[in-house]
Amino acid sequence: MTAELIEVEGGRTFGAAPSDTAVRGRAARRGTAWLGLLPFFAFLGLFLLLPTYGVVRKSFLAADGHATLSGLSDAISKESAAFRTSLKVSVVTALLGVILGTLLAYAAATATRPKWLRSLVSAFSGVAANMGGIVLAFAFFTLLGRQGLGTKMLTNAGYNLYDTGWFDLTGFWGWTTVYMYFQVPLMVLVTLPAIDGLQASWREASSNLGGTTWTYWRRVGLPILAPSMLGGFLLLFANSFSAFATAYALNTGSNLVPIKISFFLQGDIAGRSPMPFALATWMIIIMAVSMGGYLLLRKRAERWRS
Amino acid sequence: MALVTAALPDGVEAPPRRRRFRFGRIGPNLVLLAAAVFFIAPLVSMTRFAFQKVPMPLLHWSTILDKWSLSALTDAFKEPTFGSTLLLSLKLAVGTVLVTLALLIPTALFVHLKLPKARPIVEFLTVLPYVVPPIALVAGVAAFFRPNARWFLNSDYSLIPFYVVMALPFTYRSIDAGIRAIDVRTLVDASRSLGASWPATLRRVLLPNLSSAIVSSGFLTTAVVLGEFTIARTLSKQTFPVFAYDYYGRKSQGGIALALMTLVGSTALLGFFTLLTRTKARRQLISRS
Repeated sequence: MTAELIEVEGGRTFGAAPSDTAVRGRAARRGTAWLGLLPFFAFLGLFLLLPTYGVVRKSFLAADGHATLSGLSDAISKESAAFRTSLKVSVVTALLGVILGTLLAYAAATATRPKWLRSLVSAFSGVAANMGGIVLAFAFFTLLGRQGLGTKMLTNAGYNLYDTGWFDLTGFWGWTTVYMYFQVPLMVLVTLPAIDGLQASWREASSNLGGTTWTYWRRVGLPILAPSMLGGFLLLFANSFSAFATAYALNTGSNLVPIKISFFLQGDIAGRSPMPFALATWMIIIMAVSMGGYLLLRKRAERWRS
Repeated sequence: MALVTAALPDGVEAPPRRRRFRFGRIGPNLVLLAAAVFFIAPLVSMTRFAFQKVPMPLLHWSTILDKWSLSALTDAFKEPTFGSTLLLSLKLAVGTVLVTLALLIPTALFVHLKLPKARPIVEFLTVLPYVVPPIALVAGVAAFFRPNARWFLNSDYSLIPFYVVMALPFTYRSIDAGIRAIDVRTLVDASRSLGASWPATLRRVLLPNLSSAIVSSGFLTTAVVLGEFTIARTLSKQTFPVFAYDYYGRKSQGGIALALMTLVGSTALLGFFTLLTRTKARRQLISRS
């Protein structure tokens, strides 16, 4: 009977004071305990859910006010190039981020000397994953822009970056390179716990049974890491798709969905056209699908963690 | 791969161990080196660009130590709007941190102590800001608040709630991790059974124990606010990042110097507060023993 009232969550205290427990139980059963979360729900409702509702609603309203689906379909047909570029950038940066991030996380997680290496990588990843926006764009202008330090060093070494024709900091591969600066740390942050979950005993068991390093990775390591890596891919995809400030600072005319949203919003102060709102709604849908997938995969990955 | 070594009989010394280069680590070490280069290079080039008055075409090994000065930064300080925008951003950062803590600490404690059933819902809600990225959120603000509550948007402080929402995934996770790391149930029960009221328990037991989580979420929030450009720009608020962006358009060296200053400043702040909480914790440990 009392088992219901004493929570299992974090339950190291089985000797909780009975009166507190009973109060907790009563309130929880009556449902009034939820009132304690009211400020939180109200805050989110007002400042997140209402604007979201506003965006979705306006995407269904044509310029003259009648309800229509054409806003949403127009957004896709007229700005299909922006969607395609955004999707391309997001997929490429997510793939590169997953591969490089996993390698880096593995290198940091398995390093034994120096001892502070892992905390350094972890702390720096925390900072770099959230760094973005204009600071990052400015930094890369000074490094790989036409007058950048890196560009000059490469030219002196015989490799003129801007002559190759495929690299331009304000173009596709430029964005990709800059995005790596926060994609890789994000992947590291998400993957470090997963790599910690790869127990040494599994590696030893595999060698005992006659397996090589490759066998271990193919039959044990990668299958266990797979949900984390796939989830990481989705997270990085979502992160890249929604990035605005960095892309804007690199090139205000970039053909990316977030830039287009800002462009239409600034040009249409009266807010009549459904275009920016339709674009934003599509963006929310894409983000919701990717984040949903990420959360599901993360739950699966956590099965291996004790 | 544990090596089993037989114990040596007494009096026999083990032969000196030769240092062998560990070939097994060459791959990971290369990765770490490449990563270090990639992540530090932009910072180096930013510093050089901001503080060395030698234009790129003239930069050679011979001129590399010439004309280093902080004048790009000090000129920026002399801008009329520098002080006001910096002050606004700092006020917004403090406000956002306070609102975040005031909202999330009670909520997270409540979920842990009284209503664990709400945990999945609350966690889902804290991930929601990821789904509605800033650019979509600002579109929503334009869609909903502009026609209905223009008075709200007129105040500069109206940015605070949106910053709180933006930082929510990180801050909630941080505070939640902090609460899980301490045995909050025992602490609360002990404190309450000794006669402390809820506010006293919060102030004297819970907050000190959560100090590192509070510091890290405060730092994250400050970093978000000092770097947030999208919403401020679209709502035409003159915050520091907006100022820096415009200034960069006029004087690129100064703009980069400002960006560097923000980066160094927030990292230093993090280091300072981390040290503060660490020494405080150590002092408490010593005083208790």
